[in-house]
Amino acid sequence: MWIIVITVSLIACILTAWLCHRYVSRAVASVEAVLERILARDFSSATLLNEDDRISKLAHKANRVTNMLITEAAHAKAEKNTVQGFISDMSHQMKTPLAGIAMYSELLLDGNLNAEDALEFISRMKISVGKLQWMMDSLIKLSHLEVGTISLNPSLEDIGQTISEAIITVLAEAERRRIEISVSNFEDTQLLHDRKWTTEALVNILDNAIKYSANNGKITIAVEPLQYYTKISIADNGIGIPKSDWPQIFKRFYRGQNVKDKEGVGLGLFLVRTIVESQGGYVLVDSNPGGTCGTVFSVFLQNC
Amino acid sequence: MPILTTKNLTKHYGTAPNIIRALDGVDLEVNKGEFVAVVGQSGSGKSTLLHMLGGLDTPTSGTVIVDNHELSQMKDEELTIFRRRNVGFVFQGYNLVPMLNVYENIILPIELDGNKADAPFVDKIIDMLGLGDRHNAMPNQLSGGQQQRVAIARALAAKPSIVLADEPTGNLDTKTSQDVLGALKMTASQFHQTIVLITHNEQIAQLADRVIYIEDGKIKSRGVVPQ
Repeated sequence: MWIIVITVSLIACILTAWLCHRYVSRAVASVEAVLERILARDFSSATLLNEDDRISKLAHKANRVTNMLITEAAHAKAEKNTVQGFISDMSHQMKTPLAGIAMYSELLLDGNLNAEDALEFISRMKISVGKLQWMMDSLIKLSHLEVGTISLNPSLEDIGQTISEAIITVLAEAERRRIEISVSNFEDTQLLHDRKWTTEALVNILDNAIKYSANNGKITIAVEPLQYYTKISIADNGIGIPKSDWPQIFKRFYRGQNVKDKEGVGLGLFLVRTIVESQGGYVLVDSNPGGTCGTVFSVFLQNC
Repeated sequence: MPILTTKNLTKHYGTAPNIIRALDGVDLEVNKGEFVAVVGQSGSGKSTLLHMLGGLDTPTSGTVIVDNHELSQMKDEELTIFRRRNVGFVFQGYNLVPMLNVYENIILPIELDGNKADAPFVDKIIDMLGLGDRHNAMPNQLSGGQQQRVAIARALAAKPSIVLADEPTGNLDTKTSQDVLGALKMTASQFHQTIVLITHNEQIAQLADRVIYIEDGKIKSRGVVPQ
């Protein structure tokens, strides 16, 4: 009798141990298989493991780890490409004004020019120098932001002051063009932002609004609190931006289809976006080219 | 590296001669970490496309490959598990469970998969989406914008390979939409989360890295893949 009981329990024990062993080795083997593939740099993750058990979950997680690493590697590569593209774009953009300066200075040095032509060439040189200067300034700012040597320091500060500082910066140019800048009444609030850089972003938008508006134009700034963000909108009645350009205009060195003949290098809005997004905010554009209402840029900053 | 690929994806409804071509040979690639907006008018096939991408509907022909898994090769049960682990959905109607509080709603997909939630990660998402003080609130105590933020948190909490958002601001007024979109944008850049956003609104689509236009079941313009 006892012998039977002992034998049966022994068999049960061995069976359980064997099943456990099988389960564990299968689990280890499946994770091992995934790791093996990662080591072989085969990222196809072709094994279908959509079963509702531990092994499948474990293998799934191992897969996710691979994916995370791939994404991060791709991200680093993309950043490297951005920097490379940046350098090549920049050198390309600098060529034209530099060639201009070289040519005009050559002609001026030859000396066979009447006073009127000489003056014309000097003023053209001045424009080219201005263009280079502006590009240089923007590039320095951008490189600081991209490399992260200047980190934005968002803190809770009154947004009213930031807006005033931006307006003061562009006031002279606005007056020269007889463009009126008005600010709708709003209750000043503290928003999470870096004042110096946010001012920079607003100035870039205002600069554009002035540049692409006719003389005697009108720019209206409004501040509107939402639940999580506060919207600062800058509206002009300028030439507008066609819809097809909306997804493009914030890209580096992109120039709108209808502004190719105007001064500019296509960095301003890229800078705006970089600054605002580094602070957890975002920018939207709305525009009605050909209409009377022009363009509205909305900057969304976090309330806290 | 693409995380999502469709090849000649086609969905027809009805039979000839009254055939409706909801999708008509769509080839699409979305890279890991990319935020893509698919823009189209109602009836353009954009929602059908999203349903196919998420394995919620089967194509007439063509394939959908998510993270190297071909969806049509999977049995229903496998597909359910695959979706639960790899796809986060955000719909127009929030789809929160009314009897569960904010936190329980967010970790529901994780618990359905029999896992324990990664608490610090979930808390981080909740704080980022401004729901830190609403842990125990019930869905009906929240505004529409907050409910949609909970839905976004739920989609992210399981760390999916891809988030599919179908007109996430369709039920919200302009102001609230902008509030919710900011949340989506922020999570995209913070977590390098791959997102496909379906919308008819070009204003909203601006937030994406790339905008794809769809019309009559075909892709009209696929935007420039950012460097």
